[in-house]
Amino acid sequence: MPPGRGSGVTDVDGVPYSFAREYRGPPIAARDLPCAVPIKVDRIPVASVSQGGVRDKLSLPVVQPISAADFAKKFSKELELGSKIVISPVSVMEFEQKDGSDDDCVGKEKDGLGSGISVSTNAVSVLEEARGDLGNFAVSGELSSSGTLELGEGQYGSSEFSDVINSSTELETPSISHSIELLAGGGSSGTLGFSDSFDQSRELSGSSVALRASNGCKESLDFNDLTQAGWISTESELSSEYPSSRKTGSCIDETTCDERHTPVVTFLDVESVEGDISEEYRQVKPDIVRLRRESEVKVRKGACYRCFKGYRFTEKEVCIVCDAKYCINCVLRAMGSMPEGRKCVTCIGFPIDESKRGKLGKCSRMLKRLLNDLEVRQVMKSEKLCCANQLPSEYVCVNGKPLCNEELVTLQNCPNPPKKLKPGNYWYDKVSGLWGKEGEKPSKIISPHLNVGGPINVDASNGNTGVYINGREITKIELRMLQLAGVQCAGNPHFWVNDDGSYQEEGQKNTKGYIWGKARMKLLSAVLSLPVPSKSIHSSGEQVSNVTNQIVPDYFEKITVQKLLLIGYNGSGTSTIFKQAKILYKDIPFGEDERETIKLLIQTNVYGYLCIILEGRERFEDESLNATRKDKLSESCDNAEDGVSLTIGEKENNNKSIYSICPRLKAFSDWLLKIMASGNLEAIFPAATREYAPIIEELLKSEALKATYSRRSELEMLPSIASYFLERAVDILRIDYLPSDADILYAEGVTSSNGLACADFAFPLPASDDSFDTVDQHDSLLRFQLIRVQARGFAENCKWLEMFEDVGVVIFCVALSDYDQFGRDGDGALVNKMLLSRKLFESIVTHPTFDQMDFLLILNKCDLFEEKIEHSPLTQCEWFNDFHPLISSHHRTNNSSSNINYNPSLGQLASHYVAVKFKRLFSSLTDRKLYVSLVNATEPDSVDESLKYAREILKWDEERVNFSLSENTMYSTEASSFSQ
Amino acid sequence: MSVNELKERHMEATDTLNSLRQQLHQKRLLLLDTDVADYAKSQGKTAVTFGPTDLVCCRTLQGHCGKVYSLDWTPEKNRIVSASQDGRLIVWNSLTSQKTHAIKLPCAWVMTCAFSPSGQSVACGGLDSVCSIFNLNTPTDKDGNVPVSKMLSGHKGYVSSCQYVPDEDTHLITSSGDQTCILWDVTTGLRTSVFGGEFQSGHTGDVLSVSINGSNSRMFISGSCDTTARLWDSRVASRAVRTFHGHEGDVNSVKFFPDGNRFGTGSDDGSSRLFDIRTGHQLQVYNQRHADNDIPPVTSIAFSISGRLLFAGYANGDCYVWDTLLAKMVLNLGSLHNSHEGRISCLGLSADGSALCTGSWDTNLKIWAFGGHRTVI
Repeated sequence: MPPGRGSGVTDVDGVPYSFAREYRGPPIAARDLPCAVPIKVDRIPVASVSQGGVRDKLSLPVVQPISAADFAKKFSKELELGSKIVISPVSVMEFEQKDGSDDDCVGKEKDGLGSGISVSTNAVSVLEEARGDLGNFAVSGELSSSGTLELGEGQYGSSEFSDVINSSTELETPSISHSIELLAGGGSSGTLGFSDSFDQSRELSGSSVALRASNGCKESLDFNDLTQAGWISTESELSSEYPSSRKTGSCIDETTCDERHTPVVTFLDVESVEGDISEEYRQVKPDIVRLRRESEVKVRKGACYRCFKGYRFTEKEVCIVCDAKYCINCVLRAMGSMPEGRKCVTCIGFPIDESKRGKLGKCSRMLKRLLNDLEVRQVMKSEKLCCANQLPSEYVCVNGKPLCNEELVTLQNCPNPPKKLKPGNYWYDKVSGLWGKEGEKPSKIISPHLNVGGPINVDASNGNTGVYINGREITKIELRMLQLAGVQCAGNPHFWVNDDGSYQEEGQKNTKGYIWGKARMKLLSAVLSLPVPSKSIHSSGEQVSNVTNQIVPDYFEKITVQKLLLIGYNGSGTSTIFKQAKILYKDIPFGEDERETIKLLIQTNVYGYLCIILEGRERFEDESLNATRKDKLSESCDNAEDGVSLTIGEKENNNKSIYSICPRLKAFSDWLLKIMASGNLEAIFPAATREYAPIIEELLKSEALKATYSRRSELEMLPSIASYFLERAVDILRIDYLPSDADILYAEGVTSSNGLACADFAFPLPASDDSFDTVDQHDSLLRFQLIRVQARGFAENCKWLEMFEDVGVVIFCVALSDYDQFGRDGDGALVNKMLLSRKLFESIVTHPTFDQMDFLLILNKCDLFEEKIEHSPLTQCEWFNDFHPLISSHHRTNNSSSNINYNPSLGQLASHYVAVKFKRLFSSLTDRKLYVSLVNATEPDSVDESLKYAREILKWDEERVNFSLSENTMYSTEASSFSQ
Repeated sequence: MSVNELKERHMEATDTLNSLRQQLHQKRLLLLDTDVADYAKSQGKTAVTFGPTDLVCCRTLQGHCGKVYSLDWTPEKNRIVSASQDGRLIVWNSLTSQKTHAIKLPCAWVMTCAFSPSGQSVACGGLDSVCSIFNLNTPTDKDGNVPVSKMLSGHKGYVSSCQYVPDEDTHLITSSGDQTCILWDVTTGLRTSVFGGEFQSGHTGDVLSVSINGSNSRMFISGSCDTTARLWDSRVASRAVRTFHGHEGDVNSVKFFPDGNRFGTGSDDGSSRLFDIRTGHQLQVYNQRHADNDIPPVTSIAFSISGRLLFAGYANGDCYVWDTLLAKMVLNLGSLHNSHEGRISCLGLSADGSALCTGSWDTNLKIWAFGGHRTVI
């Protein structure tokens, strides 16, 4: 570590990594020189992010509310910045306003602007500058504004810049911009964050500007910049020394503004313009924004608008848009099928007359007479739900801000929405959920923390009590209620009320009580016609529909699942085991959609298999023809023992081999192969299914195909499972084919659509007591997660296997029947599949991530294996070339040894032998014991058994019981002895 | 032409290629008379020095309960998105260390995450071979999860890294274990171009990371398990513009130098390197000699805004700060107070360069910045 030097010292030789750049700005007057008063770092409040809705457009960064102050109400004017404030190309300013109040300010400064500015470290110059601009600031005491902490919960827009200047918006802004200029002059470019808290009170005016600045200096070291305040940690020991200041200043009216303001900051105009707009919003009653559509027909009062007959007392139906009235004879003609409810045909699509909103969906008697019940219901439903009849969002103003569509939806879909929302001006206290009409007492408590409307105004409910709840001056009747609730209201306190009714005084941490806690409060509130929180607030308070307001928990519960990792070489049946587990342990293993896709997949697969067979047929045909030619040749030349086509030798040697098919089928097969080669099998499929079903049937029945099929082991591309489907190809290729669980089980590619599949499951409770050890309740409730990963990409140094270090057991799957099959390795050479499996096994076992991990080897496809072993010797795989059981002798040895009835077949012997081979390999690699399980993945029971075995392994591991494992493993050393 | 003949010709061609490559290497060595450090020394430059408070851990972002695999900053705001093995993406406010979003992922094995340039959405990818996009403004569903707004599927292997094209919310580049990189059109969810793969001009191993040139967003760099880094022009998908050899292990991390003409790499061989994309030369190796032969791999790298500093995270929990000019390790964050307890898996610098965020397998993220008290002017 280099020796620590005084930070901020410019490097002597001026290399471009100086810690702080020299100030080269205009000279600063002596009185402007910064001076800072330290603040207590632990008293700097921390804000949470408030975002979403309108604010997202602004992309303004996060805000640090630091202090709050009060402002003279008469001076208040709220301005909104609707656009992104870009100060300079390299720096972004953030502003956030908080309504709040700071008790400290109360009583100290009257009729003045109390401004608490706290700036950390070197940005103090800003402060001073701002001070100069704003006038005579007096440093007043410590900053105590932790009350704003909760204010920052995201209820207030980060974008609104509410300014509280009487007549001169310009007066303050230059000062701020000036401060920014200074920052910029300090050689910094970066992000500035302002957070202001304003509140309005009649006696006081004050403001606090909290400035956070974090800048990166381009040419200096990034961390050694001038204004790094933003990063000062509360954890850092050093941070307590931070200079910062808080100043309360005098009235703006007296301010002599420093006009030295540079064009660096240009949000001034925006602000004033926006201010005007928002002022307009106040004045204009939004109800009358849209023109009301009037009926074009002028008629005598009381008459029907269509037939001009009738008089005042004739029963009539009214158009909800244009107020036209129609008599019973004309209604249906004038309104037609009423796709949007009771509207004239000409009015369809127009918004409804707001005064008729209450009538929406309420059917008249006349309509009931005209239409039958079902029709009436449909008309009323569409009247209520069609979008043209919905409340236009801009008619609803919340806290002086017309809502946008999303906000209205949020408001209406919240767990506890305001009832019968009508156009108008409302106020909404986002913290407590109080809701009321502008200038009136609260009418309801709706869901809190909804991201709608602007920040609440001090005079939202037109109160004059001097008592504040969440920054709103409350009405007399509310004060009355508070007093009756036993809340101390002396001294005009500022309360902070949460949605659960808990209240605290601003600036203090401890909750003083619950307003609605006592039972009599419900009654009282009813008497005073004040709202009480509904129960649903508490139950669903967390599920606020808007994510941005959701409280993200500090820590997430770690779900305890035992993870089983299923790995295997391609075609080893991991997918089948995975599907089998799903079928076994899940109530609905595959959904409807899933089955549909699986059906298509199976049908496509069958076409694929067919293509492979047809390809093979061509190859065999060529080979056999070549062979016949060669045979003929060898007869003449005597030395053509190539041995390439030995098996063909026994075939007949006509010009036409057994593999030939008739020209019509040949044409079809060529066409199919061409489609396959071009890779768009899916394109012609499944439309072609029906059309080609007969020809495919014919094809499958042809001798050539059967002959090819009998040699399918030579078609390395053809999976062994193909026969299952090919034998039923005709059924499967039907349109109405529905895959059974077994089909899904056998189908390829169902789970391999992506690289990884996982399924959570729990073992069902044992139905009977046949399990040998008592599985207690706890165990059966354990959740397991089976993770199946594809073999692709298990490179030598596979990075992502590290992700599975928390698995309990690695289940490695090997297909026993692979011993005589061949696959291509990384270099494209043809290698025995069993050896490929072994290679993968070795690399997985020795992977550092799985050090000391339990391994369960699943020897899969033992049914196929047993079939195969009878005619194809195990020694085909060179790894197993020391397997030479003499069946007869083995029978004898076994019979004579222990169990008279034990009469292992060749298949059993061979599988035991393979198991031992793997065990030896494993213990040579790790010195540990390998668990082995013989499985036939298509048999549910055998999969169930082996997964339960995996569970046992986990349990043994947990309990650290010294089992003699050889007794429990299926293949004891005894089994291994006889195969050697 | 028989198969054998083809094989022979292929062998021949491979040999020629290798010999040419060797020649190129020789020639490069010949031309390479100095490296950055020597030159800087000859110019009398001295290394950056760090005071005790110049870079301290200011915040610890706690909340993940699995290994942190990836992080990304918003270009403008002080927000961070991090991806962890607990199957969650968390969006943090780096200043307050509060969480603004926690997104539960359908597939827990996430390897990478990225913030869109507008900060409106985040992308992530992992072992499910899909790159998922989440819009942060979409309301949560009943269970409180943010629904996936777009799935970019098409990779045949895990998605190892993703990065949005600067200033374009609609395009992003992913790298994958299928040896390819893909440029996506997010709006349609379709692949615009695939780099490498079928054409043998691409990487021959898993691609582990990408970095898009900040000054010319058409160029990007990819680092791969085949020990090379490749430069691509996103308009020319058919072949790489240039291949950079030099590393002896998987290239875990690539990052463009701030000026866009160079880039840095971090590799399993324990070294970080600086390459010039114009000449193709390797400019500097940043390699720390260890007493024992245990050389920890470099997991992630980042440059300071000026480029003077290179931050490199190591698998053993170290995080070195290199002076790029003098190739001298000037600070080890791993040795500082309050450092990580596990492997540093990812690191990133905030857009304004004022802070470094490191993510670690100890489930925490830490923010490092200047933490001192300074007198000005």
